Amino acid sequence: MPADYDKDAYPEPPRKTPVVDKQTALPNPALILTKVFYYAVDLPVTTFRDVVDSIRSKNKLVYYHQRFRRVPDLTECQEGDYVCCYEAEMQWRRDYKVDQEIVKVVQERMKACQQREGDSFLQNCAREIQQFNDVTKNYQSRYGDLGAYASGRKCLMKQKERMMAAQARAW
Amino acid sequence: MDESASALLPCRPTVVMVGMSVLRSAAAFAARLTPLKPGSSPANLLTRAIPRTDKAAIRWGHGKKMFVIKPSDYYDRRFLRLLQYYVLLTGIPVAIIVTGVNLFIGEAELAEIPEGYEPEHWEYYKHPITRWISRNLYDSPVKDYEKMMAAIQIEKEKADMRLTQMEVRRHMRESGDGPWFQIPTLNKDLIDNSPKASPDN
Repeated sequence: MPADYDKDAYPEPPRKTPVVDKQTALPNPALILTKVFYYAVDLPVTTFRDVVDSIRSKNKLVYYHQRFRRVPDLTECQEGDYVCCYEAEMQWRRDYKVDQEIVKVVQERMKACQQREGDSFLQNCAREIQQFNDVTKNYQSRYGDLGAYASGRKCLMKQKERMMAAQARAW
Repeated sequence: MDESASALLPCRPTVVMVGMSVLRSAAAFAARLTPLKPGSSPANLLTRAIPRTDKAAIRWGHGKKMFVIKPSDYYDRRFLRLLQYYVLLTGIPVAIIVTGVNLFIGEAELAEIPEGYEPEHWEYYKHPITRWISRNLYDSPVKDYEKMMAAIQIEKEKADMRLTQMEVRRHMRESGDGPWFQIPTLNKDLIDNSPKASPDN
């Protein structure tokens, strides 16, 4: 089971529940229901999780984040050097994956912010929304319509088209 | 009396007969629905219950055993039985193994790479079964990368060799002083030049 998210990253606003001031002798149905839920569902599930964790803690496994060395780009390869092209292509594919994950993380931040703020998210989350818009616009301009058979070469040609269009606009 | 009365009617007798028989069958039908026994007067007809003689007594017990005739479902049930058997033959062990691995071994946790330590290629994966497959069944990604680069290098060398061979062939054909495109001709020393004034005549 994956670990829970870092609670300090998206801090929730402080709770404003009032102090309980019971003035009737009748039982509180909400309290009864929470206690029933606790004993019927929460406690068994937690004890099962603890048992499984105690078994699991004997065989602990770790995994690492792989770091790749930077290799020369497609623009720095000679004309017939196919090995260099292959390495550049693999590096471009890894960067494509990383950019997709970056877009997902920014999107997650915006979704979390909207969930937190509720109805006033347009005002309070303006920074996250702006960041998301910027990131998606850049992603679209760089990797936008490359399609399923995207490659570093096609992306380079798209960049060339972008630069030509920018230069035509500058004139 | 009805048939005799029909002779006095102005319309045709056959139509009258049909009409009479229709009335008679309607009267018989009505008598079936509400049978009037002798000894019953119209006064107590509405008050007493009328026993029906054309319906049997219904008792809800075990029910009469019926021999239901339908086509054989032996082949369908055999197919489903065999399907269940062969699916569960490998399905249950796989389910037990995967559940056991997830419960007792559990997924790996992310950690920083220690100083001076080169992790093995399977230590970059999270799930224990993926790690096992990567360790025992697959080559490391580094080896795959190198294999691909070796294949590309071999193909590149083959292509370069073919291009140079084409170039060499062109040169050999043009100038003709190389070892290729040599057509064997007769030995000049075998020609008898004695009757000739000059060697070319």
